[in-house]
Amino acid sequence: MRKKGLLPLILGLLLLLMFALAAFAPEFFTSYSQKELFTKWLPISREHLLGTNAMGYDIFTELVYGTRQTLLVGVLSSILTLILGAGIGILGSFRGWIGQLFNGLIQIFVLLPKLITLIVLATFFGSSAVHLIVLIAAFSWVGTARAVRAKVLQLHTQPFIESCRILGYSRAHIAVRHILPNLSDVLLSRFLLGVNSCIMMESTLSFLGLGDLYRPTWGTMVNFAYKRGAFLRGAYQYLLAPGVCVMLLCLAFYLISLWLTARKETISEG
Amino acid sequence: MKDYRKNMQLALVCFLLVVVLNFFLPRLLPGNPVAYLTGFSEQDMTPAQVAFYEEALHLNKPLAAQFGFYLRSLLDGTLGYSYKKDAAVSALIGEKIGYTLQITVPAVLLSAGIGLLWGLRCGYKKDSLADRFSTTALIILNAVPTFLIGLGLMIVFCFQNRWLPYTGLNSPEAVRGTAGYVWDRALHLLLPVGTLTLAALPSRYLLVRNMAASASDGKDILYAKQRGLSDSVIRREYLLRSIAQPFLTMLGMSVSLCVGGSVVIEKIFSIGGMGSLLTEAVYTLDYPLMQGILFVTTCIMVLSILLTDFLCLLLDPKRRSEGKG
Repeated sequence: MRKKGLLPLILGLLLLLMFALAAFAPEFFTSYSQKELFTKWLPISREHLLGTNAMGYDIFTELVYGTRQTLLVGVLSSILTLILGAGIGILGSFRGWIGQLFNGLIQIFVLLPKLITLIVLATFFGSSAVHLIVLIAAFSWVGTARAVRAKVLQLHTQPFIESCRILGYSRAHIAVRHILPNLSDVLLSRFLLGVNSCIMMESTLSFLGLGDLYRPTWGTMVNFAYKRGAFLRGAYQYLLAPGVCVMLLCLAFYLISLWLTARKETISEG
Repeated sequence: MKDYRKNMQLALVCFLLVVVLNFFLPRLLPGNPVAYLTGFSEQDMTPAQVAFYEEALHLNKPLAAQFGFYLRSLLDGTLGYSYKKDAAVSALIGEKIGYTLQITVPAVLLSAGIGLLWGLRCGYKKDSLADRFSTTALIILNAVPTFLIGLGLMIVFCFQNRWLPYTGLNSPEAVRGTAGYVWDRALHLLLPVGTLTLAALPSRYLLVRNMAASASDGKDILYAKQRGLSDSVIRREYLLRSIAQPFLTMLGMSVSLCVGGSVVIEKIFSIGGMGSLLTEAVYTLDYPLMQGILFVTTCIMVLSILLTDFLCLLLDPKRRSEGKG
């Protein structure tokens, strides 16, 4: 069991490490700078691992430099999602009208057609990276809020919370000192899955042309490739490579969260 | 019963929320609402034009009256007026929505059908080789963005091997109303529907598989096995029944997800459906059209939730016996 649980973690961490390195030290992977010009539409070669694009930039370099932006949007909006989700989830677990109000809010947001709403709102607000982060977070917190609410409600039935209440601790004290620490593993696994859905959402929006053009992410790259006729040039790698990167990054986070759940199960079994 | 009624109420509240959001967004954002509601930039308009549009859009009336006019436009079915395209929003959407439904309806049904059958089989035989293999494969597929699936399929089927057409819904030489036309349409739909099915399949499969896996630990299943019932009977009569309701609810909620996914697919395969209309509206900043599309999508979502709730009601044995007694 232990051996089986470790393999995905190592794989996930390795992948994540690679992407983190590309984000923090892009120079490590590529000797070209971002705006270095070559002949347009060069095929795959040793000098240009993925060829060059319509403007003459090296695609692999573009990909490496896009990592930082993609990770940044994904992680930041996931952190915002986490804060929103945890807050609303805890408020939704209250008794009385506050709880009902926030619980209702959770159930309404579950139903909203997320992608279409995001497209409309992103156009209204204008698509800069900051707007995208806030908007994606504003429509992604539902899953976290539901998970947090369920966990808080379950904790409330536990004997140790009941004894705290009998000992006369205040509600704030119980919430901060006893409920919050127990939420940590729910929050951590929701954070990892949240990064995935945020990255997915961001690349879909950028693919549709709603990304921040000054800070290109992988989704923006595919959008450019599609618009500038990579199909007709046969530059399939230009269309596919950013998507594959999104996939690998999502898998990395998923594998780590898989290890977390496996660990939790072994603890509760043992 | 109470649960279903609550779901319907929530769907209606959600609906109202979208209506209110649609109404207030252009009016509360910084900038002149005329610019948002017509889609023309303020600098390009003469004061006379601004005054004309203000009059036409009732922007000089109090907010409550404006809301009244907005509600009326929703009720009489015009959904507002797109000044960019010079047509009523409902007419624009009505022309295109059929194409979107031709992609989403088959994809929703196919992904649900395959996910249900395959998920039941693997969940029942959990931890077998087949289950491990297909679950891993679908977890990986779950991490693939929709556009990558679409582009990948297109490269393999349309560019490397010229098996299938890659753009639009019909070849230009096809004649309407013939068998060849239908066949041509089916060929054109194959890849878009396939992409959306593949994109929606993992979540269905994983849900069914996990529910079936935990249900197959139950004592009723053990008893059924002891009685010597065949695997297919157990799957159909025991497992399917126990997971039917949550599955249907999930299906109803995910219809709007597929409509969202079709925006991406219509862009990739250059299909002129509602999704392309939305992308076009985004590029031309045609705000009334965007809002109309958001409204229609919300309608589709509410309808699908009501439909699946109704089906759940029919399936619920408690409700059936109440009806009889």
